[in-house]
Amino acid sequence: MPTRIQDQVAIVGVGASAFGRSLPESQLGLAAQAFRAALEDAGLTREAVDGLSINIGWPLGVDYDRVAETFGLSLRYVNQSWTHGRFITHSLQHAAMAVHHGLADCVACLCSVGFTRERGILGGPQDIEGRREEGGSHGESPVYGLTSPAGGAALSMQRYRALYGTTPEQLATVALTLRRHALLNPQAIMRAPLSLEDYLNARRIIDPLRLYDCSLINEGACCVLVTSAERARDQAKAPVYYLAMQGMRSGREEFIFAPPGLGINQQTTGRVTPREADLEVYREGGITQKDVDGLYTYDAFSPLVLFVLERFGFCGPGEAARWIQDGRIGLGGELPVNTSGGLLSEAHVGGWNSIVEMVRQLRGECGARQVAGAQIMQWATVWGDSILFHR
Amino acid sequence: MSDYAKPLPLVTPDNRAFWEATRRHELCLPHCRNCQRPHYPPGPLCPFCFDTGLEWRRLSGRGRISSWVVVHREWFASFRADLPYPVVQVELDEGPRLTAGVVDMDNDALRVGLPVEVVFRDVTGEVALPFFRPRTE
Repeated sequence: MPTRIQDQVAIVGVGASAFGRSLPESQLGLAAQAFRAALEDAGLTREAVDGLSINIGWPLGVDYDRVAETFGLSLRYVNQSWTHGRFITHSLQHAAMAVHHGLADCVACLCSVGFTRERGILGGPQDIEGRREEGGSHGESPVYGLTSPAGGAALSMQRYRALYGTTPEQLATVALTLRRHALLNPQAIMRAPLSLEDYLNARRIIDPLRLYDCSLINEGACCVLVTSAERARDQAKAPVYYLAMQGMRSGREEFIFAPPGLGINQQTTGRVTPREADLEVYREGGITQKDVDGLYTYDAFSPLVLFVLERFGFCGPGEAARWIQDGRIGLGGELPVNTSGGLLSEAHVGGWNSIVEMVRQLRGECGARQVAGAQIMQWATVWGDSILFHR
Repeated sequence: MSDYAKPLPLVTPDNRAFWEATRRHELCLPHCRNCQRPHYPPGPLCPFCFDTGLEWRRLSGRGRISSWVVVHREWFASFRADLPYPVVQVELDEGPRLTAGVVDMDNDALRVGLPVEVVFRDVTGEVALPFFRPRTE
């Protein structure tokens, strides 16, 4: 029987820099803001941090060695993945596993991005994803002008529409809901209300995705400090404990921006209902989807919110576009999603802004955005990884 | 044709035969000698039965559009004149799906399920690219 992570590891500090477009600070400068804020939040000094877990490195973000050198850290555990938003869960999981196995006492998960400065990475000739062997990991094909993660999300959403009849008005609910959340968040970049008319009239980026279906492009940094439950007891603020985890899925039936069965790339087409093996996180946590008080997910593109709901069995295959209507994923609804506004309306900080929000929610610090009685919250992605947190 | 400015395919040991075939205006994929299935993208062994005996065989060139997009944003200066341009994913009759461009059709005609067939464009002296055009069933 593997050792469970439940209540063995906790997040004890969160911090963020300012979020904005064309900020003057370097990625390291923003990282310093977030790191110092997280340390203050946890009541720790930098000497307490002996591990680092990073998923977005140079040139878009910061590499572990430059962070350690610049901040004068002394590390004995490092995890860094290839520069990509998809590895956020991985980063948090490795931090927890390192602490759990005594490879580190306190791991900082640090994400700092400079999307405005490094915009070329997101699409076009400088989008190196498209030059990966046999094409990009979002289905890119620069030979035919298909580039950017947006290309992959658009391929998925077009097929989903054809299979299930989703309308633009239904999809708009994702963007409109997250904008309403952002308006309650003083840190959010987007400050103006978004109407259905605004959404429909906005320019198309790559059909069927419109402007507001795509994440913001900005600078910003977040930091999350992970330590053992034992050390967490000494901290002033209530720890947020890991409850259960499951890892990233991969194989021919997987496409990063599609649920299994959608039929993108080499996926088999079919209405796939998650099996128990796909939902390890709930079994490990001893809960069901109904116990989740808030869902946080990587919302680089609005269809990803639909897909994660189906992947994790909140609704059946092809049902998500209808399921999200009538306020279901809004604050006050059955399953609030990305309550600080997400990548679509708060800021694109690699999804870490939603992790920070989730921790604050579980501590009861979110004021006007507070999910009443928040006990259990879930981070989950379209690529099948997830962590349940609770207080 | 030597002034072709768009990105060219990245040729690797595993896919070289694919691009040599397109130069002959043929669509070919590696097939497994054991289970007979073709796979895409071309790899060093059969992803289905894990056998290492592969053989390149020609495909029918026929399939159906399984998804499509229309790019409105200029990401490549070399595609500026084509905006807004389509990119499709085609489910070949033999099973694998391929991403490609289309010819002989308007963006308005794109739909999932549309029957298509492959044609080839010689874009440089060395490279021919597969495109798909509508076909009658």
